[in-house]
Amino acid sequence: MDKLMQLLEENCPSIDFAGEKALIDDGILDSLDIVMLVGEINDAFSITITAEDLVPENFNSAEAIWALVQRLQAE
Amino acid sequence: MSINSAAFLLFLLVSVCACYLVPKRVRYLVLLAASAYFYLAYSLRAACCLLFTILLTYGAAQALAALHRRERAELDIERVDRSGIKKHGKRRRRLVLTAALVLNFATLALFKYLNAWMGTAGVLAGLLGIETNFRPLNLLLPLGISFYVFQTSGYLIDVYRGRVSAERNLLKYALFVSWFPQMVQGPINRYDRLLPQLLAGSDFSADNIKYGIQLMLWGMLKKVFIADPLAGAVGEIYGNYTQYPGAVLFLGAALYCLQLYCDFSGGTDLVRGASQLFGVEMAENFRRPYFARSVDEFWRRWHISLGEWMKDYLFYPLALSGPMNRLGKKVKSALGPHLGKLTGPCLSTLIVFLAVGIWQGPGFSNIAYGLWNGGLMSLAMLCGPLLSRANERLGLGEDKWWFRAFQTLRTLLLVIIGRYFSRADSLRQALGMLWRTVRHFGPAGGGIFTCFGLTGWDWLRLGIAAAVLLAVSILQERGMPIRKTLEKQSPAVQFGVLFAAVLLLVACVYLNTDYTAIMYVYENV
Repeated sequence: MDKLMQLLEENCPSIDFAGEKALIDDGILDSLDIVMLVGEINDAFSITITAEDLVPENFNSAEAIWALVQRLQAE
Repeated sequence: MSINSAAFLLFLLVSVCACYLVPKRVRYLVLLAASAYFYLAYSLRAACCLLFTILLTYGAAQALAALHRRERAELDIERVDRSGIKKHGKRRRRLVLTAALVLNFATLALFKYLNAWMGTAGVLAGLLGIETNFRPLNLLLPLGISFYVFQTSGYLIDVYRGRVSAERNLLKYALFVSWFPQMVQGPINRYDRLLPQLLAGSDFSADNIKYGIQLMLWGMLKKVFIADPLAGAVGEIYGNYTQYPGAVLFLGAALYCLQLYCDFSGGTDLVRGASQLFGVEMAENFRRPYFARSVDEFWRRWHISLGEWMKDYLFYPLALSGPMNRLGKKVKSALGPHLGKLTGPCLSTLIVFLAVGIWQGPGFSNIAYGLWNGGLMSLAMLCGPLLSRANERLGLGEDKWWFRAFQTLRTLLLVIIGRYFSRADSLRQALGMLWRTVRHFGPAGGGIFTCFGLTGWDWLRLGIAAAVLLAVSILQERGMPIRKTLEKQSPAVQFGVLFAAVLLLVACVYLNTDYTAIMYVYENV
């Protein structure tokens, strides 16, 4: 989780990933942010996040993103 | 049956009464019957086309659901190659999805593009000295085909992804596709948001009726008092552009921005209001787009349901695809991390807006319109960090009102330039108009406002209507909920406002023998 938090904060320094729980629903992350973050996360955790995984439930908070990473690593 | 006509209002009244008179569990059948009547009154041939789409996508969704079930059953067996089963299952589902999407979009292509493409092929063949005897086919574009093909395709992709379950009841599914308020010009609704509302059978609510009527009236006022009077003037300027100086051409493009907004958003308000009468809230399609401070923001406020569709079903799959990823890595090693990261998003944006351009129509001017918007957004992504740093050094920020106003005006200018392409009949015309605007800007001269078939009184009425629209939009931008604010006023004031709006419409439309209803711009898309 620490590695993910570091990655998120490096790429989007203006966003409070620890506190925000509606990153998608409130439009805090836009489509460009999401695509760039997915690329970084894929490389850092050796996983492949596809368009099918891009639903608000998977990206609304850092915890949700971490849960997605863990699920894809387990598959 | 035009949605502005008295016949439509009567049809709506009968449908709403019938809807609330029957028990909730069968209410969807009344809504389906109303939708079928509305569409059949338009054209039987178009109804056959709609039925084909319904059956095709219903069948494909059932096949996808069956493959999902089969995959789950195979995974339940112990000691199996789980990843192999998943991979195999996904391949089979993808095959079904691809076949269904190809057929679905082929229907759209047949009616919307075939004649234009064959005409272009004929011209190209003529240039090569090959004689062709092409005659346009007599194909009537089915009402709402651009919208329901996208809506059903989105549904199929959601079923494929496992986001929603396939609807087993064909009649319920048919209602989702053919819900009559969305058939004229969208919005492109999502299955998981629309169908539950259509099936829930909401209780009769005076608020729904009141808000629905208010929204319908607001939409009709925008159409009748702004969009329709401007249609003739804009048509005159675009149609005879060689006779006008550049300033007038620029004015024409700016007026078209206003006309199109009032036409499209007015029509959307009308149908959203009509839907609300039944307690069904449809997707929002406009959020005061001309207040946007970037082209990217403009597209998040303009035709929102199409933008969301494009983002979820085209932009993300493209930007995250393997080839785009590999290309990004190559660019990164050759040109640095910034360009590498942005290669996928920029190329995907260009492709998405190319699709938006093609969605508008078959001409090259539409393709140019798409590329203009996609190009501007890609450029903004590439130069974003540079511009941010420059703004920071110059002390320019969002805290300064004049800088925000500058950003809005800059965006408006770019949008107006784009409208040269989207309204022109051909790419040649659009480029010709742009050339004249730059090279022969010239003095507009006095009295131009009396041209274009409008009298001074027409311009005055138009100006008042536009000023009211601007004032309401500014209040909404500042966060004032107009309808809630109106609700807080005394019943006499509320009734007075409603009565004035109805009176205006009745006097200017239904009792005015000179009034000619003008088709919605996107009714034939």
